[in-house]
Amino acid sequence: MDSMPDRYAKELKAQKRRQFIWLACVHAILILACIVSIYPLLRIFSVSLRPGDRLISTDLSLIPAGASFASYANVIKSTFFLRWLWNSLVITAATSLIGVSLASTAGYAFSRFKFPGNRLGLTLLLGTQMIPAGMLLLPLFLMIMKLGLVNTYLGMVISYSVSSLPFSIWILKGYYDTIPRSLEEAALVDGTTQFGAFYRIVLPLSTPALAIAFLFNFTSSWNEYLVARVILSDSSRYTWTLGLFELQGQFVTQWGMFAAGSIMVTIPVLIVFLYSSKWLISGLTLGSVKG
Amino acid sequence: MNPLVVSLAEVVQMVCFVGWGVLLFELYLYIHFNKFDEKWYFPAVLIGVPVSALVFAITAEGADLPGGVIGAILAYAFVFELFAAPFFKYIVRGKHSLAYMMIAPGFVGLALLIAYPLVFEFYLSFHDLKLTTLKMWAETGTLPFVGFKQFKAVFTLPPLSEVTFLQLLGRTLWWTFINVFFHVVGGFCLALLLNQNIGKMRGIYRTLLVIPWAMPQVVAVLAMRGEFHSEYGFINVMIIRLVAKFPFLAHLGIGPVQWLSNHALLTCTLINVWLGIPFMMVIILGGLQSIPSSYYDAAAIDGASAFQRFWNITLPLMKPVVAPAVTLGTVWTFNNINVIYLVTGQAGGTEQADILVSALYKAAFTFSRYSYSAALAVVIFALLFVISVGWLKFTKGSESAYG
Amino acid sequence: MSSVSFKYVKKKYGDVEILHSISLDIADNEFLVLVGPSGCGKSTLLRMLAGLEEITEGQVSIDDRVVNHLPPRDREIAMVFQDYALYPHMTVEENMSFGLRLRGTPNDEIDRRVHEAAQILQIEQYLKRTPRQLSGGQRQRVAIGRAIIRKPKVLLFDEPLSNLDAKLREEMRVELAKLHQRLKVPIVYVTHDQVEAMTLASRIAVMEGGYIQQHGTPMEVYNRPANRFVAGFIGSPTMNFVSGYLEPDKDKLYFKNDSMKVLIPFNIPLPGDKIDYKSVILGIRPEAIFTERVLDKNLSDMIAVSVEVVELLGHRKNVYLTCGSDRLLATVPASFASAPGEKMFVWFCLDQLHLFDKTSGARIS
Repeated sequence: MDSMPDRYAKELKAQKRRQFIWLACVHAILILACIVSIYPLLRIFSVSLRPGDRLISTDLSLIPAGASFASYANVIKSTFFLRWLWNSLVITAATSLIGVSLASTAGYAFSRFKFPGNRLGLTLLLGTQMIPAGMLLLPLFLMIMKLGLVNTYLGMVISYSVSSLPFSIWILKGYYDTIPRSLEEAALVDGTTQFGAFYRIVLPLSTPALAIAFLFNFTSSWNEYLVARVILSDSSRYTWTLGLFELQGQFVTQWGMFAAGSIMVTIPVLIVFLYSSKWLISGLTLGSVKG
Repeated sequence: MNPLVVSLAEVVQMVCFVGWGVLLFELYLYIHFNKFDEKWYFPAVLIGVPVSALVFAITAEGADLPGGVIGAILAYAFVFELFAAPFFKYIVRGKHSLAYMMIAPGFVGLALLIAYPLVFEFYLSFHDLKLTTLKMWAETGTLPFVGFKQFKAVFTLPPLSEVTFLQLLGRTLWWTFINVFFHVVGGFCLALLLNQNIGKMRGIYRTLLVIPWAMPQVVAVLAMRGEFHSEYGFINVMIIRLVAKFPFLAHLGIGPVQWLSNHALLTCTLINVWLGIPFMMVIILGGLQSIPSSYYDAAAIDGASAFQRFWNITLPLMKPVVAPAVTLGTVWTFNNINVIYLVTGQAGGTEQADILVSALYKAAFTFSRYSYSAALAVVIFALLFVISVGWLKFTKGSESAYG
Repeated sequence: MSSVSFKYVKKKYGDVEILHSISLDIADNEFLVLVGPSGCGKSTLLRMLAGLEEITEGQVSIDDRVVNHLPPRDREIAMVFQDYALYPHMTVEENMSFGLRLRGTPNDEIDRRVHEAAQILQIEQYLKRTPRQLSGGQRQRVAIGRAIIRKPKVLLFDEPLSNLDAKLREEMRVELAKLHQRLKVPIVYVTHDQVEAMTLASRIAVMEGGYIQQHGTPMEVYNRPANRFVAGFIGSPTMNFVSGYLEPDKDKLYFKNDSMKVLIPFNIPLPGDKIDYKSVILGIRPEAIFTERVLDKNLSDMIAVSVEVVELLGHRKNVYLTCGSDRLLATVPASFASAPGEKMFVWFCLDQLHLFDKTSGARIS
């Protein structure tokens, strides 16, 4: 009969083996899931490297034979690609700046002041999320058309500027709630006005939340397609989303240029997103933890 | 002129315009909140407000406004101020002035760009706006009134050409349910796997798994759509190669599929599930990691199996985390025009994958059936409203059941 | 020079009245401590003086100037907060000079004053650090420095020592006392700790339930508490309270209950609407109960007690006694020898007796 220590050692070994098999399975499934996740992106990348004469093929290899950067040069030269990027940048930057500025003051008012309409305002902000997508597009388009702002930067900025406002106000209000009021009171005693306390003390301390709001504004405007589709009709005024969509039509697909353009746009977005994702998640929970 | 310089000039002009508008507005508020007791209050605002409204309009449109418009601006502003000035002087009396001044620009923006379009949409649904009447409206601002005709059309005529309202409704519900279901299940499974003791690789896996969400949606959807292409997409290519290797499969009827033409809705669903799992995974993983391990230790000592631990500890503690995410996900999925449109939206694309909101968009902007789409929008809004209210009552009710 | 006065000041939140018609004068150079339990309204009163709370009714004046409608920055006050409220994104130097910079003071003047204040508070080596890098005590000094640098007319403190550990609290108390001697401005100081009140104040205002229960010097408040609440709040360990009744015996008045009979050596008013001889409370401090017949004190007749618990504090002992249905605490020299369970006798020092009406709590004298 095995002694206790021997039985124990055997059991431990068996347990370790079971654990090993289990972890191996876990890893295997995760690796499979990762492949499914990134495969389309890798494929786009490989299509972007295809040489000009074999743009359309059933070749599935990741690095095609005769790989070249011709498509990249092509998309920059023969389309308005750079112009599209510039358009997107201008519109998105303006939208984000406006959105964050408006949200920073509004969020502060909701956080610090008890005024009639405080609760109602927050509920209304929440309510705007309930409006079905596309419901406001038609009236918006008609308004922009009547103002003669179709195809302009200003028209786009106006359309985008308030779409992220409710979310930004919520985030900033939640963050402001965590800043102790005694700091503003100390500033008031030291000699600022109420607004001065906001501007000199609270705002500098809120940079994480402001960054999150800015990032959120930026990414939602940058990646937006439907509104731009409605308002912009001149190809040189397109944002990059419209431009890329044009390159991948139903019957005529400019595979190479589409792929190259996609990669050029996606890489910075991915980098920014992954770099800031830790912030984003903690920022989303910041407000909720403090209620 | 160099287009870059032109666009820069436009940008500067745009910034100045917006800033100028906000400044004027804040000045208006400042005077009404803080200077209402001065002797010059009434004359100043009754003259000043119409004049500055006119100045703003001139800077916006250029100095060549027709005389009628100038008169209209002055008159409207004057009448408005006739009511606003005493309101601020006798009722508001400067209370909460800073609070209102700080929320004003944001909320005025929201009013102009969300509230007003909403009301306008309701207006449109009762009037007849088509390509033919569009020009008339642009010039005179009036439209023929048609009562409930458009609403009747919503329920009887298809928005585009084939699919009716009820079909769309059913399809939307199916779409929402299937997507959210797989999002949650898939996200949960991945989160559980990631929560295992896998050490350093967790960061790498997590980063790779988040990529479908991190990518710009346009790129992600179009890339996935490319994989469903009947000739060059990954899926069909693999099927062809498999069948070539194992010819018996051809006898079973397995062959390349015309995804986009014949199974559009399925294609969209698969793409959307792929897109939506990372979000759920991240939320659920966060929730899983916040459950103190002491609960599991206590349960293990009590003799619970892994499944029992999952059922009795993990699931109940995850409810407050998962519930809001599911609510959000459901709303987003219900409202998801992007995926459907990007996959099927171009001229010649199919209607068979449409859900309510995408049909709405296409009716308005591809088929120019403006009033119809407005009525459809109102119907969808009413539907969502009823569902939300019912859902809120339901969750409040179950909350009170738990005391 | 400077003085502060509250005239019939009331504070209401909606319909609830927090402070009831408070009137208080603070003379120049006084160290006034507002002391009381949580919720008594002391912080609210301080914040109304600072301008951080609205004054519902009444008048607050600084230097004979009514300041009700002035914002905090126009009142020439400075305040030290309970959580120090140091600006996290600024260095110590910037924290301290913030108020001066707002007023456009020239830079060399700012430098001079910063160094002056830093020297007084011994924080010169921390000037370039941020608050995050400082300990609690150091932060407190910086907060005080920020307050004194502007040479305010009144200095306000809102429970500044509550967040410090016991040893630091003792040190800072001494620093604050020295600061007051040096600065010569009135200080209004809020705390719930009666030790701080007794040691720092030149006058104490004891508050409870939105009223000022007593306003006087520490000695007055200690030796002649105006009511039962003040008697029980001030002094550590707490005063003993015994219920009973008053009974004349021949030409003397005695306090009696089931277990004791104590002579009342001073004159009190006759029974009437104000006083009911049938229900009174006798108050006696622990240090006024003697376990030996000490000759140079005016002692009562002996009282039979039994020993419950004895605690050794080092130089003294706390002895918990039961006397009938009452429990008494006596502080005695460490040489006290009796053990728990023993029966013995104690004597009250008649010069240190207090009498209170049972229903109203007011002092009978």
